[in-house]
Amino acid sequence: MKHIFKIISLLAAISAFWVGLLQASIIPRTHTWLLPIYLVVSLGCYGLLMVGVGLMQFPTCPQEAVLLQQDIAEAKGFLKDKGVDVGSD
Amino acid sequence: MELADRAVGLLLTLISLSIFTYFTFWVIIVPFVDSDHFVHQYFLPLEYAIIIPVFAGVALLSLLSLFVGSVMLKSRKKNKKA
Repeated sequence: MKHIFKIISLLAAISAFWVGLLQASIIPRTHTWLLPIYLVVSLGCYGLLMVGVGLMQFPTCPQEAVLLQQDIAEAKGFLKDKGVDVGSD
Repeated sequence: MELADRAVGLLLTLISLSIFTYFTFWVIIVPFVDSDHFVHQYFLPLEYAIIIPVFAGVALLSLLSLFVGSVMLKSRKKNKKA
């Protein structure tokens, strides 16, 4: 619940700032109307960037993969002896 | 293969960075430039800066709901058969 309150308070602060900008009219009105759309698009871009960076840095651990294949073969043999249908072979 | 993964990751980062810089220029910098500067011919009129993200967002939401709906229908059909 605390996390939701944090997010809601952040959203309320941003919208209060935006309404304040609208009222004060320092920047021309059309630019102030564009600001929420710009924030949403930049948030989506940031998410996409994080996904791309995570994909690039993901470690593959080839030795663990070999050990995992050995474990799978061992488990398949054991289960087949006990009579359980293991599927594709 | 990890090389394919890294290529896809690099492509995603490049796409996101280019979209972000183009959109930032479009919304924040171009409106403050004089109207007879040459930069204006590289950017569409400012109304499209609203139409394109809203259209993309609506398309994304509808595709997501279509996907969720089709998965729910398929699972209900499988439940009825079994």
